[in-house]
Amino acid sequence: MRGDRIRKVLIVGGGTAGWMTAAAMAKIMGEIPDLQIELIESDEIGTVGVGEATIPQILLFNNLLDIDEHDFVRATNATYKLGIEFVDWTRLGHRYVHPFGLYGLDMMGIEFHHHWLKGRSLGEPTPLDEYSLAIVAGLQGRFAHPRLDQRNSPLSKIAYAFQFDASLYARYLRGLSEAAGVVRTEGRIVDVVQNGESGFVEAVVLQGGGRIEADLFIDCSGFRGLLIEQTLKSGFEDWSKWLPCDRALAVPCELGGDHLPLTRSTARPAGWQWRIPLQHRIGNGYVYSSSHISDDEAAATLLANLDGLPLADPRPLRFKAGHRRKPWVKNVVSLGLAAGFLEPLESTSIHLVQSGIARLMTLFPTQNFDEFEIERFNAQTLQEYIDIRDFLVLHYKATERDDSPFWDYCRTIDPPEGVAYKIDMFRRNGRVFREHEELFTETSWLSVLVGQGIEAGGYHPAADLLPDSETLKRLAHVREVITQTAQVMPMQDEFLRQHGSKSEVALRRAS
Amino acid sequence: MSNEHTIRNVVIVGGGTAGWMAAAALSRYLDNGSTQVTLIESEEIGTIGVGEATIPPLISFNSMLGINENDFVTATKATFKLGIEFVNWGGIGERYFHPFGGYAQDLQGVHFHQLYLRQRKRRRMQDISAWSMCAVAAANGRYARPGQGARPPLTGLRYAFHFDAGLYAAFLRQYAEASGAHRIEGKIVDVKLDSENGNVQSVTLADGQTIDGDLFVDCSGFRGLLIEQALGTGYEDWTHWLPCDRAVAVSSSYSGGPDPFTRSTAYASGWQWRIPLQHRMGNGLVYSSAHISDEDARELLLANLEGEPLAEPRHLSFQTGRRKLAWNRNVISLGLSGGFVEPLESTSIHLIQTGISRLLALFPDRRFNPIERDEYNRQVQASYEDVRDFIILHYNATKRDDSEFWNYCRTMSVPDSLTAKIALWRAKGRVFRDELELFATPSWVAVMLGQGIVPEEYEPIVDALDEEKVASALEQIRLGILQTSERLPTHGEFIAQILGQSRTEPELPEFVF
Repeated sequence: MRGDRIRKVLIVGGGTAGWMTAAAMAKIMGEIPDLQIELIESDEIGTVGVGEATIPQILLFNNLLDIDEHDFVRATNATYKLGIEFVDWTRLGHRYVHPFGLYGLDMMGIEFHHHWLKGRSLGEPTPLDEYSLAIVAGLQGRFAHPRLDQRNSPLSKIAYAFQFDASLYARYLRGLSEAAGVVRTEGRIVDVVQNGESGFVEAVVLQGGGRIEADLFIDCSGFRGLLIEQTLKSGFEDWSKWLPCDRALAVPCELGGDHLPLTRSTARPAGWQWRIPLQHRIGNGYVYSSSHISDDEAAATLLANLDGLPLADPRPLRFKAGHRRKPWVKNVVSLGLAAGFLEPLESTSIHLVQSGIARLMTLFPTQNFDEFEIERFNAQTLQEYIDIRDFLVLHYKATERDDSPFWDYCRTIDPPEGVAYKIDMFRRNGRVFREHEELFTETSWLSVLVGQGIEAGGYHPAADLLPDSETLKRLAHVREVITQTAQVMPMQDEFLRQHGSKSEVALRRAS
Repeated sequence: MSNEHTIRNVVIVGGGTAGWMAAAALSRYLDNGSTQVTLIESEEIGTIGVGEATIPPLISFNSMLGINENDFVTATKATFKLGIEFVNWGGIGERYFHPFGGYAQDLQGVHFHQLYLRQRKRRRMQDISAWSMCAVAAANGRYARPGQGARPPLTGLRYAFHFDAGLYAAFLRQYAEASGAHRIEGKIVDVKLDSENGNVQSVTLADGQTIDGDLFVDCSGFRGLLIEQALGTGYEDWTHWLPCDRAVAVSSSYSGGPDPFTRSTAYASGWQWRIPLQHRMGNGLVYSSAHISDEDARELLLANLEGEPLAEPRHLSFQTGRRKLAWNRNVISLGLSGGFVEPLESTSIHLIQTGISRLLALFPDRRFNPIERDEYNRQVQASYEDVRDFIILHYNATKRDDSEFWNYCRTMSVPDSLTAKIALWRAKGRVFRDELELFATPSWVAVMLGQGIVPEEYEPIVDALDEEKVASALEQIRLGILQTSERLPTHGEFIAQILGQSRTEPELPEFVF
């Protein structure tokens, strides 16, 4: 066993995916005496780094790396995030928030939303959003850490993530990685050497003639998939039928408008626009379908909808929704954009890197590269992509919008089986189930199902164990406690300032 | 539970520290739906509120009321207190520390001080305070609240507070009113007694309003509006043992971090307190008017401030002693109306607190069972006498012969109870704590040794323990305490941390089903 060990890992590409992999691997595998981790990147090649919004799982990753949160927030100009606000998705003029964490409080052994549905049937009109502390506090610009020790406080039911500057995050992780012994090599790969018999990658050749050999290669080279696709021809499963957006334009702008701990996604005639407020600027981008709008029109739409002056020219990005058929082939594992692409509607890009790393650590190979284990890695990765895809498709499918060919297409398309099933289950009696270990929980599905206007025909019969008057009383109490709790939470800007973030600009401009 | 005998109306007369402590505790514990707690106070009448230093049992009073300690520290501008430093008491130039926590730990059932006394006969030993976590931390200006999981020697860091008594009363007023106590502003001009049983029936305010009550708590201060002026209970005078009868108090500014201890400095005709709060220093000179004039006392006080005085010094007169019956008929006296012992050991607030606990334990109904009342009075009397004896020890056990005042104190005859205590100590360093006695063995040890009474021998049982082993154990413990104290934050840092926390940690509303 010991002789078969991997001795050299080469990470190809130094964007967010590359440095996340390097940092995690150095932390977990760094103690192995003769394992060498090297990362090659070229300053000539830009990184995409638009994935500035995250989901709460990022905390696990940061904890794994022993990252001090306040330090990290300062270093990456980060802000806090309690959820995503969706504007104009269900219909023009409509908005809802997909919150992190739970709604209300589970009672009588069933989820809160059944009591809410029962309340609706009794004529209680309050929207679901008002039963989520993350939403109520988030829309007021407030933030506080969850208090898991305060079980009867709604603060125990929220979760949070960050919005940050992805290139600063990569730089931060590079610092950690190099300190932990990762070797960084600057260089551009011009050739890849494969073993004549097995087809395994043996080395990469650099411009100028250098050559780096390794046992295991991690392909973080981005969309093109330098090793996984260009060399090993993994193949790509195309999902643009369900997710027709294939381009994006990204532009940062000065701070302006509100400064809430929320990412905002606004539906546009041929796609949607993100708005991610950081400490020092706002990240914006228009994700669109090139068959429904021209690049110029898209740029004009984006620039017309900024809250501050643009800080650069919009950067175009092209992509295709889908995933590498086999994210791991022979001795090459692809992570990040090299492995697949799903538009950042639910901020999953960084999470996909993170969960890929976790899977790789679990199934870390030996020189034998066991096919069984590789298949498992690939099957789990595929499932994760499918789960996220289904959740994204729900946003496009469950809409009343009929104001453009794009939305007509999305609304009338046959969704993947999983989506149809979830919608159907909810339509009957308000049931939401989380399948296998899918990333998005019942709460997430619930918020989007309800937010996008899917009506439940009934609710769990156990909700009737409470007399009607008691149900209404409890709903009112939950709303009241949430309103009061939001009042005692500090404003996010205040919170950031207290912990030494340089958000003075933000404070001045956001007010 | 309530019936026709249940007390319906408790009327508290006076709203100083004693009044609001009583109102807070009674409103919390008499929340039975049928007892109303009313407090009458007049803004025209000032409160004394000099009792700014406390002893550790106050923690239980606050926690009995469910008061969050950090909120309390914030609201009352409190600092932490690990004990009292006595300067010039045993003799001019001497100082010692009376710590709240005990000394090190007892070994195999033998009191630590006995082991210490034996070692001290054999070799030069450091002062006993080197074995007190409180004393060592205090000397280094350090403090942190020992957490629940704290281990020795940190567990020995018993503490109390210095606080602004006016703010504490305001803090408790808020609490009491939220718990249902009713406050009436007004000056009492008349007290009506029941012609049959002599109980107080009602009090009449200047505006003509009459307030009836079943039970009256007299917190009216020295004068004892109900207990003395109305009921003529009588006062037992202790001035012959404790001749100080005046005080002059002033607060002053100070810079630098607050010390986590009270200091008491003896002068020719009395002593001066020094109590650091978060925002100012409390100072006061307690003196005997037979030995120094008010004017000289004032000058002496002002000459011994570290910073600038923040107000005109206030003069107070008192008579040491106790009300003959703390509870007479349907009136219970708390605070200064019940008696006065100078604040040398910070017992004023504590005597109020124990009065309240005993009242709750023996809470009457309208039949006022005399047996319960007698028991209350017995216990309160014992408390006052214990405190009295302990204070007298400080005056009597001294070498000072530099003034008339000290000559008197050093040579006066003391209560028999104290004579016996001193004799037991002098022989073989023995201290016995009686049933309800407030001050525990280490307190007596601290003051006896500090004031220069060294036992002639130690207890024979000590010789059962190997001398060398004990010597090395003592040395280890001493180092452990020293190292632990070095790891503590400074007192100022710890308070800053609390103030920061209580700002960002508001009460959280909760789901309640």
